[in-house]
Amino acid sequence: MRIQYNFAFLDEGSKREIRRATLKAIAIPGYQVPFASRELPIGRGWGTGGLQLTLSLIGKSDVLKVIDQGSDESVNAVSIKKLIDKTTGVPATDATEAATLIQSRHRIPEVPLRTGQLLVLQVPMPEPLRMYEPSELETKRLHGEKDYSGAWLMLFEQIMKYRSVSTGADHPVMVNDRYVMAPSPIPKFDNPKMNYSEALILLGAGREKKIYAVPPYTQVVSLAFEDVPFEPESFPGHSCRQCGAEDVFMDELYDSEKEETYYQCNDTSYCLQRMNAQPLV
Amino acid sequence: MSLDMVHDIQIAYRQLVDAMSRPGYLADITEEAGKLNPEPSMLPATQILARMLLDTEVSFGVVSEREAEAVHLLNQLTYANETTLEAADFIFVLSDATPEQLLQVLKSAKIGELQDPHRSATIIIETPSLTGGSKLQLSGPGIRTVAEAEIQLNEAWIDIRGERNAEFPLGLDLIFTDSANRLLALPRTAQVAKEEIR
Repeated sequence: MRIQYNFAFLDEGSKREIRRATLKAIAIPGYQVPFASRELPIGRGWGTGGLQLTLSLIGKSDVLKVIDQGSDESVNAVSIKKLIDKTTGVPATDATEAATLIQSRHRIPEVPLRTGQLLVLQVPMPEPLRMYEPSELETKRLHGEKDYSGAWLMLFEQIMKYRSVSTGADHPVMVNDRYVMAPSPIPKFDNPKMNYSEALILLGAGREKKIYAVPPYTQVVSLAFEDVPFEPESFPGHSCRQCGAEDVFMDELYDSEKEETYYQCNDTSYCLQRMNAQPLV
Repeated sequence: MSLDMVHDIQIAYRQLVDAMSRPGYLADITEEAGKLNPEPSMLPATQILARMLLDTEVSFGVVSEREAEAVHLLNQLTYANETTLEAADFIFVLSDATPEQLLQVLKSAKIGELQDPHRSATIIIETPSLTGGSKLQLSGPGIRTVAEAEIQLNEAWIDIRGERNAEFPLGLDLIFTDSANRLLALPRTAQVAKEEIR
């Protein structure tokens, strides 16, 4: 039996609720709006928040791109693409410039986003204060009172222990000078791309049932101290082995035969595009 | 052709997302609004918003001379419940409401609580036109430097809105509609200033 699903899988009532939450999220940048996360044919914690946002937004004229940790072709990205394609018929692309709707897990593409594009990020842990405060009621109060001493203390303790801030991905940010927000586990390298972004960024946490947003042209500052400034990852002296790119976020890989480490662009579509543009040797 | 509750509403929603995330942006939903049967009580653009946002989960209020008619229409279209203007999630201030009534709504609508600022009213206001009014300067998130709005409406609302939105994140989100099927949104983050006459 073949079930005829509604366009974009979700029923219209579910979309309506997600849409109302999304609009409030845009109006209150960085604030986590609760919503009734729906059951989906993929498990919670596998991108259901992002997926629900995408499904509530997508229309016939969209061009979709789905990335999983920089890759267009990993299992998670392909499964999500297939689900969306089967229930909407919307074409998917790898080219960042061609996409109108981009759902991403843990990366913001290397190609700068522009007006007319919309970035949806999948979020596993939307609460930046959860590490030191397990109670949701309490973290809501802390956000309400803009009491972020704990967030600062967390970074301070890392400096005391390790002499530097030890966050890798998901380094907390201050949005519009009001809310401390988890930018989703994007590398610190991508944090500055959120600041005054040209595209609207929506973040969805399906398991934790939260939607939040960073509107375009909104101040997003990574938390740091005056004497210990924010330091994104950098790859000095390294370039991508495949396309030669520098100043991009790279994966470190190990060649066990040659016993050497090498670097490669993390954003696969960006890398491929650069390689295709290069003349054949 | 009648309104497609899936695709036409989706297109209108994306226009509203653009309007809400870029205050000052004039969204146009003429094609979608044109598919509606005209209703004497409210503008087509307003009706599209009602169909997009209301259902049994939320409450609404209406301010209009034809209040009963409009409430009946919204009940029928969306099954949402009418409630007082102090408690309503969505408030429709229709074109025949007086400027005083609009001010009263802005004064009494709920602005949320510090822990739940999203539990605040969204106010949909019908205007004669979203162009040709006195110039307003907008700034805040969603705006690169400064944006303009020319809402044709008695300007008294600006100060009251400013007072209610003074304590961010608490505040009111406004969506203006006009008879040319356009939308303009002013989320609580948008700073509105009357342009000074030089």
